[in-house]
Order: sequence, then C-alpha cells, then structure tokens
Amino acid sequence: MTHLRTLAGLATALGLAACGDGYPPDKTIDRGIDSKDLSTLQAGIWVDPNGCDHWIIDDGVEGYLSARLDPYGKPVCSGVAEPTRTVGDFKRGSRIFDPN
Amino acid sequence: MVKGDRAVARAFSETGTGLIKVVAAAVIALCAGMVSDAAAQAFGQTRSQEGRDQGQYIPTIWVDPDGCEHWVMDDGAEGYMTPHVNRKGIPICRRGNLCGVMNSDQFFATDSFRIHTAGQQRLAEFFANSTAQSFIITGHTDSRASDAYNLRLSWNRASAVAKIAQANGARIADIRGYGERLPVAANSSAAGMAKNRRVEIICIQ
Repeated sequence: MTHLRTLAGLATALGLAACGDGYPPDKTIDRGIDSKDLSTLQAGIWVDPNGCDHWIIDDGVEGYLSARLDPYGKPVCSGVAEPTRTVGDFKRGSRIFDPN
Repeated sequence: MVKGDRAVARAFSETGTGLIKVVAAAVIALCAGMVSDAAAQAFGQTRSQEGRDQGQYIPTIWVDPDGCEHWVMDDGAEGYMTPHVNRKGIPICRRGNLCGVMNSDQFFATDSFRIHTAGQQRLAEFFANSTAQSFIITGHTDSRASDAYNLRLSWNRASAVAKIAQANGARIADIRGYGERLPVAANSSAAGMAKNRRVEIICIQ
C-alpha cells in the first residue's frame, strides 16, 4: 500500500509539473512560514527623490511600494522626511529575519 | 474527459487502486483545461504565462493609513502593489483625509479673498490644535463668472487660508485653486452654489 501511495503522490507531482510551476492565480495571500492575508500588511513612508510620499512595506521576503495620493489623485509630498529617507516601522509585519 | 485521457486513466487503474485513477484523471482534466485556455489567448504569450497561474494575477485590496485602497499581490517570493484609482485617476478611499471644509460665505465677502478677523481667529485655533504633519489647501467656487476668474479667486482664497496656517506653525504641502471645475453640488440652485463655494483642508497625518 505504501508504494501505491508513493505512486499516487508521484503521479500528482508529475501531473502538476507538466502543467506549470508556481502558485495559482489567487495572489491575495502570503503563503508559507509567515502566511497572512495581504490586507494586514503594515506600512511606513518612503520619500522619493522629488520629496513625495510612498507607502513602503518590507514583509519578510516580499517588498511593496505604492504611491501615497490625496483625494484628488495628486502625489502627497508631506515633507515628513528628507528625500530617500523612511519613517515608520515598516518591517514589523513579518517575523522572518531580514538584515535589510 | 476526452478519449486520450480515459486511456491514460485506464492504464493507471491497472495498478489496482481507485485512488490513483481518481488523482490521475483529475490532474489530466486540469491540464487539458489549462492548455485549451492558453491556446485561446495565444497573443502575447511568453514563458511568463506558462506557470501554474498562466499569467493571471488576482489581487486583493490593502487599505493604507489614510484610508485609501491599493491593489496588492504576493507571487511567492515577490510582492506587488499599486494604488487603486478609478479611470480618471482618482483614488478609491474608504475614508478620506479631508479634515475641514470651510464654507466660503462664512470667511470671505463676495469676490474677495480677504478673511475677516473672526474667521482668522477660528482658523488660527484650528491649525494650532491640529496634530497633522502638513496640510493641502484647495479652493473652489460656484459656476458664476468666468472659469479663469474662478481659478484665480479660488487659489487666492486657498492661499489666504494657507498663510494663516503657516503663521501658526503648520506646514503647507500644497495650495490649489480648482475654481468651478470640481463642484460637490449642482449649480442650478442657490443652496447648491453655496455648497460649492468652499475651501477644503486636507490633513496629512
């Protein structure tokens, strides 16, 4: 029975490999060791070289960056920090060790 | 299931377990479906569309501390994010960071951008008590008079408010005059026009 089960596993592995690797189209969750729904990400601010704000998130292996916009759709350039500097604890969302 | 699949499934069944048969058939059916889908969308297909996701990336929503939405995706080792805006480029926000709407009639005389003393005092108090990091001030008018005139008047009014803010230690990120171009009510009634005559204060925390 054991070898049959191994065979079944092998068939599944081969079958899936034959139709492509990687994750399915659903990219809405972080899988693996620090798994979570992506709505729970914790952001800080990164100031671009023009002085405008972006949300920055270091979530272990993944990094995210997205523009901060005002209600009119214009960039928010708050002056919260000098260009290229960050503010806020944007690495706190993941337990994965990451020296940077 | 097509003929070829059934033959392969039968070959598997000879090993003597129903389990393998079911698994194999399911995998083959899955693959067959994927291949036909991929063939139907041949345009622009590269190695990047050959993975298990076939190049389809379904995002979820992340809400930033301002209350505005972003598309976010996690593709295993990579993360992606971009603002959720409508087709006009306006962000989708569950709550805005608009923290004050001044009714222009309470602060300015018609066609004037000079703020009377009582108004100056109210604004000074507002800015002195705010915890915001900085402010964006936008002026708006009703649709009477020309577009060019209204752009100028609304900017001058926003600028007058910004001056009071700065005098009270506030940081101004931007001053804008949108004139009559972004009404919040119909200009067909006196009440609607009064609503459109406004200066908005956005608080950046």
